[in-house]
Amino acid sequence: MFALVGAGKPAPTKTQIADRKGWRPMPRERTKQNWEPKIIAFVCNWCTYVGADAAGTQRMRYAPNVRIIRLPCTGRIDPLFIVKAFEQGADGVIVSGCHPGDCHYVSGNLHARRRFTVFLKLMEFLGLDLHRLSFAWVSATEGAKWVQIVNEVTQQIRQIGPAHRWGEPMNGMRDEGWGMRETAVATEQAPSAPNPQWEARLRELARRLLENGEVGVVVGYATGSLGETTTPAFITKPEDADRLVFNQRCVNNLSVYLTNKMVTKLGKVGIVAKGCDVKSIVGLIQENQVNRGEVIIIGVVCNGVVVNGRLAKKCYACTVRVPHLYDHLVGDAKAPQQPVAKADPRDGEIAQLEQMTPPQRWNYWMAQFERCIRCYACRAVCPLCYCDPCVTDRSRPQWVLTSAHPQGNLAWNIVRAMHLAGRCIGCDECMRVCPFHIRLDLLNRKLATEIKTAFGYEPGIDPTVWPPLTTFRPDDKGEFIR
Amino acid sequence: MTRKLIDAENLGQWVNELIVSGRRVIAPVCENGMTVFKPISRAGAMPAPYNYGKTDLSFKEWLFPKTEPILHYRFDNGDVLLDDPEVEAVETVAFFLRPCDAAALSVLDEVFGRDYDDAFYTVRRRHLTVVGLSCIEPQPECFCPAVGLSPTSEKGSDILLTPLEGRFLVEALTEKGRLLVDEHANLFTDAHGLTKEQVTTQAMTKITRKEPLVGANGGSPYLPFDSEAWEDLARKCLGCGVCAYVCPTCHCFDIVDEATAFSGCRCRNWDSCAFSLFTLHASGHNPRPTQAHRYRQRVMHKFCYFLQTFGQNMCVGCGRCALRCPVNLDIYEVVRALTGR
Amino acid sequence: MVTTGVGVSTALVKGNIYKPHLMTVLEIRDETPDVRTMRLKFKDPKVAESFDWKPGQFGEFSVFGVGECVFTIANSPTRKGYIECSFKLMGKVTSALRDVEVGQTIGFRGPYGNGFPVDEWEGLNLFFVGGGIGMAALKGLLEYCLDKRQRFGEIFVLNAARTVADLVYKRETDEWAKANGVMLVKAVDPGGETTDWDGKVGLAPNVFEELKPNPKNAVLITCGPPVMIKFMLLAAERLGFQPQQVITTLENKMKCGLGKCGRCNIGPFYVCKDGPVFTAAQLAALPKDF
Repeated sequence: MFALVGAGKPAPTKTQIADRKGWRPMPRERTKQNWEPKIIAFVCNWCTYVGADAAGTQRMRYAPNVRIIRLPCTGRIDPLFIVKAFEQGADGVIVSGCHPGDCHYVSGNLHARRRFTVFLKLMEFLGLDLHRLSFAWVSATEGAKWVQIVNEVTQQIRQIGPAHRWGEPMNGMRDEGWGMRETAVATEQAPSAPNPQWEARLRELARRLLENGEVGVVVGYATGSLGETTTPAFITKPEDADRLVFNQRCVNNLSVYLTNKMVTKLGKVGIVAKGCDVKSIVGLIQENQVNRGEVIIIGVVCNGVVVNGRLAKKCYACTVRVPHLYDHLVGDAKAPQQPVAKADPRDGEIAQLEQMTPPQRWNYWMAQFERCIRCYACRAVCPLCYCDPCVTDRSRPQWVLTSAHPQGNLAWNIVRAMHLAGRCIGCDECMRVCPFHIRLDLLNRKLATEIKTAFGYEPGIDPTVWPPLTTFRPDDKGEFIR
Repeated sequence: MTRKLIDAENLGQWVNELIVSGRRVIAPVCENGMTVFKPISRAGAMPAPYNYGKTDLSFKEWLFPKTEPILHYRFDNGDVLLDDPEVEAVETVAFFLRPCDAAALSVLDEVFGRDYDDAFYTVRRRHLTVVGLSCIEPQPECFCPAVGLSPTSEKGSDILLTPLEGRFLVEALTEKGRLLVDEHANLFTDAHGLTKEQVTTQAMTKITRKEPLVGANGGSPYLPFDSEAWEDLARKCLGCGVCAYVCPTCHCFDIVDEATAFSGCRCRNWDSCAFSLFTLHASGHNPRPTQAHRYRQRVMHKFCYFLQTFGQNMCVGCGRCALRCPVNLDIYEVVRALTGR
Repeated sequence: MVTTGVGVSTALVKGNIYKPHLMTVLEIRDETPDVRTMRLKFKDPKVAESFDWKPGQFGEFSVFGVGECVFTIANSPTRKGYIECSFKLMGKVTSALRDVEVGQTIGFRGPYGNGFPVDEWEGLNLFFVGGGIGMAALKGLLEYCLDKRQRFGEIFVLNAARTVADLVYKRETDEWAKANGVMLVKAVDPGGETTDWDGKVGLAPNVFEELKPNPKNAVLITCGPPVMIKFMLLAAERLGFQPQQVITTLENKMKCGLGKCGRCNIGPFYVCKDGPVFTAAQLAALPKDF
């Protein structure tokens, strides 16, 4: 009855339109025919650069596909450089510097080894074809080794073909991967409410601290405006202490306010902290953002918190129901509840992702990141994202594209994950606040697991040790480096 | 105004026929735990109109995308060549916009249409017909009555559907809307004088947040600019952009250049007054140095400034900002506190 | 059969308000170590012919690949055929603009903003007080008034800066001083003078106040850094200027220049559209958000 009008041409989808617009800052269209691998090499000035030079003076021939960028040290090579190279259309990246022990600055390459151990794991988890990313130690005398590495890498990349557009799902596999099953969790039940006497005890304690002038402000939880929510509260008067609540809905990690000038100007801070929140306070102490003597930690024993009507995933295998560091404790220290599960349910989901092929994994993540709107709620809510200004907000140079397109979103999500590697204590606030449920928790947890395996480090426990990526051990493993 | 009735089956038929006629139909779609507006290829992809609450992101992304090129350029031997970007100019029917989302379009129309016609917005807008859907189950965060709207208000819709005992009352409110109904007249039956009054009354009773946030005669409420209360109210604000990005009326944007040595584009991206970078001068001076200043700007712009300039309230009471705020900073509560209620 | 409502899938944007004119850099002059003036020519002769503006209006100048930046159009519409802008090395775009050489191409869109209400000043005495790069906003206006000299009364110009080296438009200043009925004063902040400095020493508002200008039949136009404006407004008040006699410009951060992007919003105004020129009376009524 209704004639087809418009010559049967279906309306284009948003994606098709975006493709046609071709607005991405990419160089000319490349086809298999005219394509030559384009490889960016970030090399150390003191070893590899001299080695490559030596290869040249000795008239050794090697593939002309590599563009060398000389830097003072591999320790100076930020993973962002690598991201930028891929973003601008590189087919492969080589990072090369001095052998362990040879660093001109003593330990730059040893720091780099740790950093790239983590970065490689992250890129592998995101589904990058690791043939495109190579690491090497090439000394000043190893011109022949440099020649060999460049030839090998060029050959490898020639075999796997041109890099597809950075940040976008691979051809024909769009949107695949969203269907990953969430691992069945041990129980769907919400945790039981803490004994109301502890709430009364908390109020009493806050009142006393404010009355004696021990603190200028107590940062705690009050009843929120929508249904069963709580909201951060800043209690400065003893008589307001009764506004404080403590229950299974106290989800926020309040330690984000310890570096907030509008809060610290109220005086010494007393902070209500669950075990997981204490971990991030430990992180802040470790990184000299908070002086242990200038914060009163009111630890609360926690039975687990509720997110979206369910026990939060971070609570399943929680080991800090009784906080491990506090000045005052509210709750029964002697009768901590057993974890509801032995394993964190996210580990199952991570394992599922790892069983996928790299392109599948890549498409899973690119579909996730595509929804990112760059509201930076993940950054704002993170206690350990305290940099002012954040590298993303720096415009000279603009390392991270601010547009919410695939390249910008991938750069941002890599930077966020990398900058929190070895520091994230897994409070999952970023995941909770993300309006598009991007699985930031899986990225964080994956890196935390890798760091524990590689360096035996667990964040948020001991304020006196150095975070793993700010230090090194001479015997750190580095099999991935040629 | 044309009043008709349509049953659920014919509603689906109507959607399918619109798609077949070559139009793009955008409707709420549930995927991956989110409800978002997306183009659909058949009516079955839409959620049942009775149990869908509100989309996670408002409809504005289809008129004013989160990021879009506004200029392309190529570098050619020291010279610069400019290319205009393309914009979708496809006839589009948007289904099931809640009255708050539909009302928000008239706010955006004011901004993008005044004085300088922003073709990126207005071309899409000209090709858009809005089919609104009255709320029968308002959500806890909703407060549209507080800003002079209601769960069944007609502002911004070309057609408004109101569920009535298994059928829908169809009100074609504009010429554009009437055209869509007339085109498929056989799917509709006569409304026999039925109205949505009862639905309105019932839905209104389910909204708990309806104390007026506007001043007398619909004017701006008195919000004390110099009050110290702003600092106390905004102390918990973390300075993320969620509120602005999920807001159906927030329209502030940033313009950035992205280029290689060969070519580039100028993009406009959503921006938020909550970011300290928003007003930071290159000299380092910032007229809004703290989060209290920035949150004040958000509230004052929504409830006072916009009203003074354009004669309509900028907040439509959808409550998304309150729902999505990481720290439950609730604009309804804030305005109430400031106006002394 | 229905024939309405089916459009093409995409269309090139017509009348893109964000599309700049292409400009060739004709001349570059260094005013101070960090302030540079550029003279630009429209590549399209038709645009060059038709382009007109009011003193005080501004434009978005862009370096392709880097971004856009707002500067006032620093020459007078009475001196056509080219446009000038002066900018201080500050951020991302200004540093890129410093790398642009004569003959290269940059972008410009405008004119935007309200401009100075020159027509209301017929027969009045004009006091110009500019601080540092703030003189750029006054230069075009001043040249306009000099070119239409008979329409206005006495003209007084105070060109102030932090140090002698920071004084802009040295060449033009000498020209202005020679014009008929113009009193020109140069001043630098205390400590910024050199041994051979022949101008005044003192902060611009103080220097202005000491000169005891007569507010009768006069307009004061002032532009400079926020702190100078603040004290100029106070000085003007003490001297007996009525708020509507004092005119200044606001420099909020802007992106679109078209009253859309929301960045420069102050109260019910968008500085880019409703400003940047405001009287002290208008400023007093605005929320203190600048």
